[in-house]
Amino acid sequence: MAAPFTLRKIGVPPNSANLTEARRRVFDFFRAACRSIPTIMDIYNLQDVVAPSQLRFAISSQIRNNAHVTDPKVIDLLLFKGMEELTDIVDHAKQRHHIIGQYVVGEGLVQNTGSKDQGKSDFLKNFYTSNYF
Amino acid sequence: MASLSTTSLSFKASSIKSTRISQVLRKPSSFQSISFGRFQSSKSLRLQISCAAKPETVQKVSDIVKEQLALSADTALTAESKFSALGADSLDTVEIVMALEEKFNISVEEADAQNITTIQEAADLIEDLVQKKPAA
Repeated sequence: MAAPFTLRKIGVPPNSANLTEARRRVFDFFRAACRSIPTIMDIYNLQDVVAPSQLRFAISSQIRNNAHVTDPKVIDLLLFKGMEELTDIVDHAKQRHHIIGQYVVGEGLVQNTGSKDQGKSDFLKNFYTSNYF
Repeated sequence: MASLSTTSLSFKASSIKSTRISQVLRKPSSFQSISFGRFQSSKSLRLQISCAAKPETVQKVSDIVKEQLALSADTALTAESKFSALGADSLDTVEIVMALEEKFNISVEEADAQNITTIQEAADLIEDLVQKKPAA
């Protein structure tokens, strides 16, 4: 049996220097999340509800949602929020219906289903950022 | 920034050292020969299973890859097919490695995981880890 994986809580690391390092952090985060899946299924009794591969897919689709980001600092922040969420889940700070609603059933919360603004309109983008353009 | 790069460098160095040490301690294992080509090991005279992965391992790996990349059941998957050729991006590759970890109950280090590009390499790595595991 592979040694059980424990999520170690490190303090906030310094920012990634470049995109390569940010990429590496994304994969590290993904690996940490996948290795925590057995613990999560155990805590919330999800054995009959979902398979580990579905949870892996849910995690990877959330990561893919933000795949278009290129700024390392933004990536760091997204990873920070992801890590926060993962820590909450592993600490049993959430409840079973949260997990099932957000990660198991369909697309998750309704507010997340709208696709992020993929550059449909420059006018709107400028409008959102400032009054003068 | 400079300190970050040196820490990442030193991590790599220590992992290389540890594989060398483990090679010296154990009877020369097949670990090094995996990365340099599978042909070396077949000529070795040790009483060890040859380095080439068993066909059923390769088959299990192909099944997982097919399921992960949502390929149809009749796509021909040879042992040498690269993941990127099948339409997998880097996140897919990591996910496949995770699925293999779960299926075979092994733990793949990050350094090893970066070298996996084809199905055969994955199967070889799995074989090696499964062999090393019961000794632990």
